[in-house]
Amino acid sequence: MREELITTIESIAARYPDRRSALLPALHLVQRHNGGFVGSEDLAAVAELIGVPVSEAYGVQTYYSMFQRKPLGRYHLQVDTNIPAMLAGAQTIVAHLEKVLGIKVGETTPDGLFTLSTVECLASCGTCPVIQVNDRYFESMTPERTDALLASLRRGVMPDLPAPAHFGSTCNVLLARRGTPNAADIEVYLADGGYKALEKALGMTPEAVAAEVKASNVRGRGGAGFPAGVKWGFLARGTGKPTYLVCNADEGEPGTFKDRQIMEFDPHLLVEGMAISAYAIGANLAFIYIRGEFAWIADILERAIEQARAHGFLGTSIRGSGFALDIIVHLGAGAYVCGEETALIESLEGKRGNPRLKPPFPAVVGLYGSPTIVNNVETLASVPYIIEHGAAAFMRMGTANNFGPKIFGISGHVRRPGTYEYPLGTPLETLIEAAGGVVGELKAVIVGGLSVPILTAREAAGLALDYDSCLKRGTMLGSGGIMVMNETTSIPEVALRAIRFYAHESCGQCTPCRQGSHTVEKLLERIVSGLGTPADIDLVLQLCGRIKGSTLCPTGEAFAMPIEAMVTKFRAEFEALVS
Amino acid sequence: MHLTIDGRVVDAVAGQTVLDAARAAGIYIPALCYHPKTGKAGRCRACVVEVDGLRGLKESCALPVKDGMVVHTATPKVMETRRMVVDLLLAEGHHNCISCQANSSCELQDMVYHLGVERPSFLIESEPTPQDLSSPGIMREADKCIHCGRCVEACQNGVVNEVLAFAYRGSHARVVCDDDLPMGDSTCVQCGECVQVCPVGALVLRQPREQKIRPHETTATRITCPYCGVGCQIDLHTRDNRYVFAMAHENQWERQPNKAMLCIKGRFGLDFVDSPDRLRTPLVRRDGELVEASWDEALDLVAERLKAAKEQHGADSIGFFTSAKVSNEENYALGRFARAVIGTNNIDHCARL
Amino acid sequence: MTNSMDEVLKAKVILVIGSNTTWNHPVFGSLLKQAVKHHGARLIVCDPRRIDLVDFADIWLQQRNGSDVALLSGLQHIILREGWEAADYIRERTEGFEEYRKALEFYTPEKVEELTGVKAADLEAAARLFATSGVGALYYCMGITQHSHGVDNVKACVNLALITGNIGVEGGGVNPLRGQNNVQGACDMGGLPNVFTGYQPVTNPTAVEKFSKYWNAPLSDKVGMTLTQMIPECGEKIHALYILGENPMVSDPNLHHVEEGLRKLDFLVVQDIFVTETALLADVVLPGVTFAEKLGTFSNTERRVQLSIPAIKPWGNVRQDYEIIADLAARFGHAFPRTPEGLFQEIRDLTPSYAGITYDRIREVGIQWPCPTEEHPGTRFLHAGKFARGLALLTPIAYRPPAEEPDVEYDLVLSTGRIYEHFHTGSMTRRSSILDAVVKTGHVELHPDEARKLGIASGDRVIVATRRGRIETTAMVTERVARGSIFVPFHFAEAAANTLTNDALDPIAKIPEFKVCAARLERVSSQGG
Repeated sequence: MREELITTIESIAARYPDRRSALLPALHLVQRHNGGFVGSEDLAAVAELIGVPVSEAYGVQTYYSMFQRKPLGRYHLQVDTNIPAMLAGAQTIVAHLEKVLGIKVGETTPDGLFTLSTVECLASCGTCPVIQVNDRYFESMTPERTDALLASLRRGVMPDLPAPAHFGSTCNVLLARRGTPNAADIEVYLADGGYKALEKALGMTPEAVAAEVKASNVRGRGGAGFPAGVKWGFLARGTGKPTYLVCNADEGEPGTFKDRQIMEFDPHLLVEGMAISAYAIGANLAFIYIRGEFAWIADILERAIEQARAHGFLGTSIRGSGFALDIIVHLGAGAYVCGEETALIESLEGKRGNPRLKPPFPAVVGLYGSPTIVNNVETLASVPYIIEHGAAAFMRMGTANNFGPKIFGISGHVRRPGTYEYPLGTPLETLIEAAGGVVGELKAVIVGGLSVPILTAREAAGLALDYDSCLKRGTMLGSGGIMVMNETTSIPEVALRAIRFYAHESCGQCTPCRQGSHTVEKLLERIVSGLGTPADIDLVLQLCGRIKGSTLCPTGEAFAMPIEAMVTKFRAEFEALVS
Repeated sequence: MHLTIDGRVVDAVAGQTVLDAARAAGIYIPALCYHPKTGKAGRCRACVVEVDGLRGLKESCALPVKDGMVVHTATPKVMETRRMVVDLLLAEGHHNCISCQANSSCELQDMVYHLGVERPSFLIESEPTPQDLSSPGIMREADKCIHCGRCVEACQNGVVNEVLAFAYRGSHARVVCDDDLPMGDSTCVQCGECVQVCPVGALVLRQPREQKIRPHETTATRITCPYCGVGCQIDLHTRDNRYVFAMAHENQWERQPNKAMLCIKGRFGLDFVDSPDRLRTPLVRRDGELVEASWDEALDLVAERLKAAKEQHGADSIGFFTSAKVSNEENYALGRFARAVIGTNNIDHCARL
Repeated sequence: MTNSMDEVLKAKVILVIGSNTTWNHPVFGSLLKQAVKHHGARLIVCDPRRIDLVDFADIWLQQRNGSDVALLSGLQHIILREGWEAADYIRERTEGFEEYRKALEFYTPEKVEELTGVKAADLEAAARLFATSGVGALYYCMGITQHSHGVDNVKACVNLALITGNIGVEGGGVNPLRGQNNVQGACDMGGLPNVFTGYQPVTNPTAVEKFSKYWNAPLSDKVGMTLTQMIPECGEKIHALYILGENPMVSDPNLHHVEEGLRKLDFLVVQDIFVTETALLADVVLPGVTFAEKLGTFSNTERRVQLSIPAIKPWGNVRQDYEIIADLAARFGHAFPRTPEGLFQEIRDLTPSYAGITYDRIREVGIQWPCPTEEHPGTRFLHAGKFARGLALLTPIAYRPPAEEPDVEYDLVLSTGRIYEHFHTGSMTRRSSILDAVVKTGHVELHPDEARKLGIASGDRVIVATRRGRIETTAMVTERVARGSIFVPFHFAEAAANTLTNDALDPIAKIPEFKVCAARLERVSSQGG
């Protein structure tokens, strides 16, 4: 391995409390340097440099879908085929690419220029179909735009193919600057009153800051909806170990593309939220664990952090307060399960993203065995508003027990898919209206990302989009990723596509998830291909029923619940396929 | 402290898990991934129980006992979950006990037997993967792996040879050696710890397999390893008075010097006891050749020649090399012989070599 | 070992010198690796070869073969210079400090660098780590003892442990790793020319009287000869030799001399399980039994007396080894006990440190001596609070080079030892089908630089020659050995390393210098032409 590569890896390793954390960054680096893969020899070199056995390095490398063992084409065309993309016609793009390139998915063109792959949700649900070329996204793709892309790539040029996105905000908290030019720049952010909340927080005691956040009742926006202030309260104190804050930016739940709006267009809002939160919980080192596909967003965050540091909003004594904080942006490498907080911690430690057995919870034994708080991007980005305007102002938005603004991402069969910031408790119809209304007739809707039970059009009618109301309707608000399906949608196909995703993403640790997702996938394949029997339908339901509540982490429920709901609520469609 | 398991009051001590307490009381809870040496893993989901006052299913291998705890190991939800675990593991049809080396010493088989399952509820077609026969001592059969992780934990953190690891993920996840090399080509040092902890037939010793002898057909006797000074306690498995294979002795393993670990020599290097060239009869030299003799002939000759040497040249003309390979009792006996019978202190052994 | 093996998990810093632990004591090697990987212990490895343990080490000191006294004394020089020594411990528990300190003055880091090749800065770092990390454990093996100044090496180890206050402390200690399953027991049982059981000196009249009375026989109070002294005296002072389960024709240094000696004997008896290279020279060969056929106790490296149960009934015209000795004793009119337990009772009667151990107490788990009474739990570590001799002696040690160093004619340093897959003279492991399949025959490790110089590739046949003999073997080119050094495992009679080794002995311990001699390498033919 080249000397400068070793030097870079060493300098990355030195930033982390434990150098093993540099394993993923090192693999990314070597892979980029090698033109897209890390072979045996380089893997062994990386393993030795980081100080892990080759076997474990290989285990890590093969766990993450972005790491390759073998060389690919110069341009790796990765088409998102997950459900929002499927609803937007991603299969047409795949078919078009296969035809134009003369290769099948998984193959490389003879000239070594292109490798075609299909991948799971790239969090571009509002701008599907999307093709990721190496680490660049090309969104709102049509066959024509695809041809233009290929033509440019053949010339060796990564083209600029802007894809306008739809957005809107009635709250002006999280998407306040979404349309402002250069909002990612600290000058723009400062001009708009940015970092005032941090200055205010530093004038308060950490306890008072934490108390304000707790008083706001802000519920975790990652999906579980657990009150963030209460979570902070679980932190183990007096352990003699440092406390860490980790921002969960592993936005991977299909149908979810909200966090990237904040990070890409208003990164300082997140940095400020993290600085305030770190101050409140007494953390001097924080991490943003961002999904690997968001490499360019990671760059945006790095720049924002650099600017914040230059302005004294990060560093050894923030604004002279004596409070020190550094933020490390840590890139994942393609693993849905790393959105689960203990898996995320494992991944951040340079391991396979396997969820941990709980208890102990991260607030007691988390990153590097230390007390750790993991919060979602949107949750942390809400904190500056809470501190600047007070919990009471925050609680004026939303409904009882479901306070504050929420970014909803709407995809699927609507006219203007995109991200819309509304108060919690906003009726589903209002959101659909904001997104331009349903194309065709509403058949079904998934309101909280793929892992929540689907609602029929009738069940969805009049649904208030908040945690408690969704629960009452037998579903969950989750991440607020709303997927709208019209009458053209085949629910068995959606179910099959959904289980393929989970089978692909299961970490493989526990039996019900590993074997269960695989088995349900096989059964649904049988059903959809017409080779199934009615007994297979019952078997799917029986398995889903048993898998729920029996897995190591919530991933079991994440597929068992939605599949069970699809089969139960649209059983006739499944039966029609096996009769 | 006391807890109630399935209506029975059971003694327990702080620090124990519900699984420990249940097993100590003779209550069977299947646990495929938990092993005393590798600890809790939470992977198999077989050991789940229900506990009054706690929501949902709990892993008994990870659940610390509390005084007054009321545990149920056979509720419908528990039994359904166990049945599901078994169904899922058996669904691909690779767990075929009939010719499996682990038959009768398989924890999955035990679990299935306890559940009374004759055959899996359903079958999912899958391609078989070939056996890995690259290692002279150990056979790997990936299809029989239940992903319990014991071997990985034991290799990485017990013997710390760091060869086995999980690679890939989901249903593609599997245990690999180094970066997916055949075991015989990898850095594996064949300590056999993975076989020691494997609950099923995924990692088995080749010695008994090649002799067509299954574990239940052997008798285990605890011996001390004849090699280095660690003094590993080994269960020597024999049949018909012949060596079959060796496993580390696990009873009270934490108090044993080797903590139920072995190396290649203790695990695989003991078959010399049945070597065909074992010396089976006394030999004496006649006309320059070593020829078979009776014990009386041989011993009379030894006694006569030693006496002669002592008479001719004195006791100190006789030397004794005792052995670091024989027992204390035998060393003592030869020492007594040299000193009290012959009258010399010319006795030594290979401590310096 | 002063301490127990699993105490390594309690050590804060570990120094391993002259022990390729993961090859020769693999299971203890695993415990050691656990200590580093899971319990935060820091590890210093001192070895001329890049042994596998180096992967786990914080510091690796690659001293020249035979320069251990300088290395160990250099560490102590720095510790005293920096004031890192355990002053209270030295004051309360040792004597001879002033003289010892004076002798250390010689070992400045610069001098040590010159003698050992270890950079002064690395030596300083190691000294700091060992002396300032907390409880420190020292482990060594034949790389320390098999030298013409092996006793000096051991004393240097003891000195280091003493001045850092690590003897008589849980997790610390000076711990020689014993290489045979009952080498500890053979010593405990008086299988040495100078002591009865339990290290009671043959020169002590009280001991002689006690044993004489118990055995009902007159005893010699003259220290006998060691094995390494007897071999050269064969045909001179020694006329008859009784060899039980040993194979000097492979294991002893300078094999040409060994064979010459054994052939000069009037009478040679070998009691063994195989017709070994040594048995082929015998007048009488008596068939004993293997470990698997024995009832009896074995004492491991941590002084743990363990009961072994027979797993196989001996067959053929063989006898238990104790029976053979008893049968022979009977021919001299002596009645020896005819059961292992009867013999063990005698051991207990005569040996205070074994007195409390009974077969019943060790049916499942062994007991570590000293165990004076049946109520005593045994002793996990020695010298707690007090040494047997009262105060421990800090010994001044002068530096002596190895007996033979490389020169123009023999330009390489040869070291011998074991490999992971085989054991001692190979009489057991080479009859094991799997071990034989893994490693069939011997080899010589040489550094790639040497290989380039001589035009040798891995797999080539080469001649290794010393002033005492030459062997033909296969080259293994590896960076495990240092430049200018070669390593030959000694398990293989057909390429017997001990044809080459120097029979120079340590003046006190009479241990041969297996770890250093001068050698030369020649190419025979390259693989495939």
